[in-house]
Amino acid sequence: MWDELLIMRALFGMRWILVLFVANSCVERVELDVPPPQSLLVIEGMITTDVPPYTVKVSRGFALDADTVPFNPVEKLTIQLFDDQGNSESFVENTAGEYISSGLIQGQIGHSYHIKVQTPDGKIFESEPDLLKPVGQVTDIKYEYEQRIKQGKYFEEKKDIFNIYVNSNAGLGDDNYVRWRFKGTYMVETYPQYYMRWIPPYTPYKDPWPCSGYRIGEGPIGSGGLLIKFDECACCVCWANHFDQMPQLSDVQLVANNQFNNVKVAEVPITNMTFANKYLVEVEQLSISKSVFEFYKLIRKQKEEASTLFQPPPGVIIGNVKAINNNDLVIGIFGASSISRNHIFIYPEDVPFKLLPPDYNTEPCTRFPFSSTSKPVLWK
Amino acid sequence: MLRRLLIFFGVALLVQCTYIATHAQNIYAYRLESSDTEKPLAVVLEQIERKTQARFFFLNDWIQSIFVPSHYQNQTIAEALTSLFQGTELKYILMDHYTIVVVKDPANLLLHKEAREKVIDKNKPITQRYFGDKQNPVNAGIVEISGIVFDAKTDEPMPFASIQVSDPKYNTTTDDRGHFTLKIKQGVYLLTFSFVDFESQVLDIAVYGNGNLDVKLEKAALVLDEVVIQGQSSQDNTSSRIGKIELTMKEMKRAPTFLGEADLVKQVQLLPGVTTAGEAATGFNVRGGSVDQNLILYDGMPVYNSSHAFGFLTAFNSEAIREVAFYKGGIPAEYGGRISSVLDIQSKEGDYQKWGGKAGIGMITGNLMINGPIIKDKTAVIASLRSTYSDWLVNSIKTDYADLSKSTVFFYDATLKLTHRISDRSKLSLASYSSSDSFRLIGDSTYKWNNFQISASFDHQFSDKLNAELVAGVSSFGYSVNNSDYLTASDLSYRITTTTIKSGFIYQLPSRKLKMGWQVMHYQFEPGKLVPLTPVSSAKRVSLANQYSIENAFYASTDWSPTSKILIDAGLRIPTFFSFGAAQLNLYQSGGPRDITSVVDTLRFGSGEIIKTYVGFEPRLSVRWTVSPSSSVKFGYNRMYQYLHLVTNTTAVTPVDIWQPSGYYFEPQRADQFSIGYFKDIKEKKYSASIETFYKDINNLVDFKDGAQLIMNSHLETDLLQGKGYSYGVETTFTKNMGRFTWSFNYTFSRSFRQVQGSTLKESINKGKEYPSNFDQPHIINFSWKYNLAKRVFFTGNFTYRSGRPITVPLAAFQLENTTVTYYSERNQYRIPEYHRLDFALVIEGNHKRRKIAEATWVFSIYNVYGRQNPYTIFFKNSTNGVPVPYQLSIIGTLFPSISYNIKF
Repeated sequence: MWDELLIMRALFGMRWILVLFVANSCVERVELDVPPPQSLLVIEGMITTDVPPYTVKVSRGFALDADTVPFNPVEKLTIQLFDDQGNSESFVENTAGEYISSGLIQGQIGHSYHIKVQTPDGKIFESEPDLLKPVGQVTDIKYEYEQRIKQGKYFEEKKDIFNIYVNSNAGLGDDNYVRWRFKGTYMVETYPQYYMRWIPPYTPYKDPWPCSGYRIGEGPIGSGGLLIKFDECACCVCWANHFDQMPQLSDVQLVANNQFNNVKVAEVPITNMTFANKYLVEVEQLSISKSVFEFYKLIRKQKEEASTLFQPPPGVIIGNVKAINNNDLVIGIFGASSISRNHIFIYPEDVPFKLLPPDYNTEPCTRFPFSSTSKPVLWK
Repeated sequence: MLRRLLIFFGVALLVQCTYIATHAQNIYAYRLESSDTEKPLAVVLEQIERKTQARFFFLNDWIQSIFVPSHYQNQTIAEALTSLFQGTELKYILMDHYTIVVVKDPANLLLHKEAREKVIDKNKPITQRYFGDKQNPVNAGIVEISGIVFDAKTDEPMPFASIQVSDPKYNTTTDDRGHFTLKIKQGVYLLTFSFVDFESQVLDIAVYGNGNLDVKLEKAALVLDEVVIQGQSSQDNTSSRIGKIELTMKEMKRAPTFLGEADLVKQVQLLPGVTTAGEAATGFNVRGGSVDQNLILYDGMPVYNSSHAFGFLTAFNSEAIREVAFYKGGIPAEYGGRISSVLDIQSKEGDYQKWGGKAGIGMITGNLMINGPIIKDKTAVIASLRSTYSDWLVNSIKTDYADLSKSTVFFYDATLKLTHRISDRSKLSLASYSSSDSFRLIGDSTYKWNNFQISASFDHQFSDKLNAELVAGVSSFGYSVNNSDYLTASDLSYRITTTTIKSGFIYQLPSRKLKMGWQVMHYQFEPGKLVPLTPVSSAKRVSLANQYSIENAFYASTDWSPTSKILIDAGLRIPTFFSFGAAQLNLYQSGGPRDITSVVDTLRFGSGEIIKTYVGFEPRLSVRWTVSPSSSVKFGYNRMYQYLHLVTNTTAVTPVDIWQPSGYYFEPQRADQFSIGYFKDIKEKKYSASIETFYKDINNLVDFKDGAQLIMNSHLETDLLQGKGYSYGVETTFTKNMGRFTWSFNYTFSRSFRQVQGSTLKESINKGKEYPSNFDQPHIINFSWKYNLAKRVFFTGNFTYRSGRPITVPLAAFQLENTTVTYYSERNQYRIPEYHRLDFALVIEGNHKRRKIAEATWVFSIYNVYGRQNPYTIFFKNSTNGVPVPYQLSIIGTLFPSISYNIKF
């Protein structure tokens, strides 16, 4: 017996030998036998109490591991808008995949609206009638500075933000299904005329972007040429936007005296770029029906879930558009909403610390995400 | 012997033909004179032959002990012989009017002789026993021999030991308390008492009266090739209860293993009708039932999580287990509370005679078991401990998905059992089991979970007919998730505590056995507590209110045989379930979906106030029709209710799942199962085959809504749905039980579906359509074998194939108002790749000599021989667009060798 015990003890001592057998586990992309992503038809549109036209966008889904976010338009569709009084009108294709109404019907509180989409090969998709309800006013937009510290891999990462809150009237309905849409706008200024191209092993040479309104003219040897202005810059000043990353929805528990108080609708990142000039906060409050509310709630849920090994499957998102005479995959939402709006500006002086000067950027300003050179109406 | 009898009959017939022609008077009418009495029968018959022309044919041996007393005077010879032969195997036949042939009932003797010769050929000792008085046999002709089969070493009764009788129609087994009763015709029989890995005992009995026969079996000292019986299941193929399988620890330890750990649940997963959701998922799914529908009992106490290290290993040390019974159909009435299966684990008792133990080391664990007497023959103790000794395995996992090198894994399980014999008729035992795990895979979260239970049981035999058992104990399961990131540091904890009192009675009636009992369980659920761990932590302190309930059940069952070929076991269980306060519940708007936005009122219940009561009615039936000694048809039916629902939205059981009791909103699950099968032994049990089919209907099963939030949710009724389900299937097995090469093959075809159709689309899953369950794996093949290379060297292996199970997957991404959204398929509409794996093991068992000091066993295993990358889990990793892309994690992606070494001393 003692011999055996000695053997055992020896084995405990030699446990390093066991390490020679290396476990080999791996994580790899799994290919499942699923239909191609392009088979998914995506329909998105809305009718509001605003002055028409209204827009319906129709596109196709894209691959899960696509690097960019492509818009795969679906063209040549026949789209009709119906109300509950027997009126109808057709949409016309404005740009590829984007259809606008002709303006005959304007959304009115208390009426229901739906659309019918028909493909050239006769497939019909239809939304459920959605009742347009009144909406309360956004009475107040507030902001609050917050410094967020995250434990990074090697050191703490600091992030400065403004939390945006709204106070608003919940409206007259019994069921307060409300959605807030946030749009943040900041001005960016870039210097595309000073763009330099590096082509190794040569020294950099001047290569102004054509949209900068400059070109290279002859200059002294070694200067790389002179910049010659030939037009006004078309990509030096832009207004870039932030949007809500996920739908902001009302929570009944936050209603007090028919009033939503301090509902957080967005986070604005504070950087030397976003607050180089000033920051425009626009908040829209939309009345939505229960089914539209549920749709956005599922999307919100999906965006909130973190990806972990023990992640639950979020499940299918159900819109209000149905395939009528076919079994194609379709996800679509066409809602009817009243909209009330409010906006404020936040100025660099409101930032409680000293901002660095804005970056010196020689790319066209249109390279900023969600940016355009047209000045917003509210920007003064 | 047979030849002699044939000659004898031949002569008799010849004689008959000769005499028919010549004689006309009837010997029956002859009355005994005084000179024909007070003498041995042989003498009397010779005398009569001389006096008359009668002829008697007999063998002296048979009748030499029969004496004709004086009171037989004046009786006819017919009367006298009838009276004298009563209670013996002798009969007489009148061949013609003048010829009487004395015969013995040959069938039994032939069988006895044959069986005896077989045993003598094998040089086995035969013990002779004599019951009753041959001269004064009991009148009825049928006698009863009863007794208990004991393990000679531990003196523990041995349930389900096999008793083979030379006349196979009397074959039987001991019951779950080691008792047996043989009702046999008077005569001589050869009895063979056997049990797997025990030396069988052969008794040559002559039975002329009732008697008591206790038998002690010794552990097999040397395993002989020819007499290895592979397993109780194959041994009792035709005679066992439908849906019941007994697992033998010895065979389990010889099977190929992962990490060299003999694993009970892994062996269960290889049985027909059992599937599993993932590579290392410890839970198992029985006939289309979910993981929580299996009742796992350890010494009678419920076990809520049977896994170590997220399911890589089972939380039971095989060295501490005495026996395991697994029921998947025809479940007896004493079990209840889960609707799919029962895994009843009984732990070992200590040795009452001498101290001994076992020790072993595997790839990541070491284990030790020690047992012996505290007071010899009176009190014994057994203790076992198994624990990890290294993290090397998880640290060697290489992936660019996440940094797994910081992973840690630690676990242990331990048992302690004290048994004390108060008298020959009573025994008290105190058992405790505990297991604990700590596991960190990625990030800063450490998952910890633990089981603890302690129970006392008292067995008492009031009389030969009445046995009683009383068990009382507490079992507790809890987990915590510890987040150590200091800015969000928190500890999330959960606990369920069950207090159990059970009483059971077995009453032996002359022709049947009655079982009845009463079981009470009190549950306390602590459904969630979140505590911030650092002053700067952003976690909020939240604590969900405790929930309380009581499950109570009466049961009674009996077995009887309307004919010798039919055995019926019928039972009834009546469970009642009370959910009680203190509690506070949301009341929702009627008509619409239950949603936190539709709360209209709050219901308040005081402490101890009943919230909801459920009463069930569970008939149970198991029927066996022995078509022939080697084949049988079995039928089983059971209805069962389940009051605790495991709430999960992941596919494998993770310790962070929640048990939700039935109550105001959740109705108990109910299952009805029918199964019927044909079982056949071929070539004297060399092979056995079976085919069994089942249909199971489940009501009120629980599934989650899309996007459900389950953890720290005080209103789970808004996130869970109840629906229907059904499953059906055919299970076939073919086993070779004897010889050097033994194997078992089983193929199962089964389907499992669910349907959740609520009043609204939101309260339905897949728009109310039927969908396959998570573990709907239509085709399952298992093949396992054992080849005896030498007496103590085995080459064993198994092959497993399972269809891929259904999952919900993202199909496409799309852009909606500046955000990228993922479009998911409907629930469970796609399948992960199929699973298959081949494992080998070489088992070298040490010295089997009777007088040994220690015996050593080496097990060399190769897991996943051809390196198949089977998916452990499918998970989703966000792409640059924030869209989840499916990935599979294969934990054991290549061939995985392991060694384990065990010694017994």
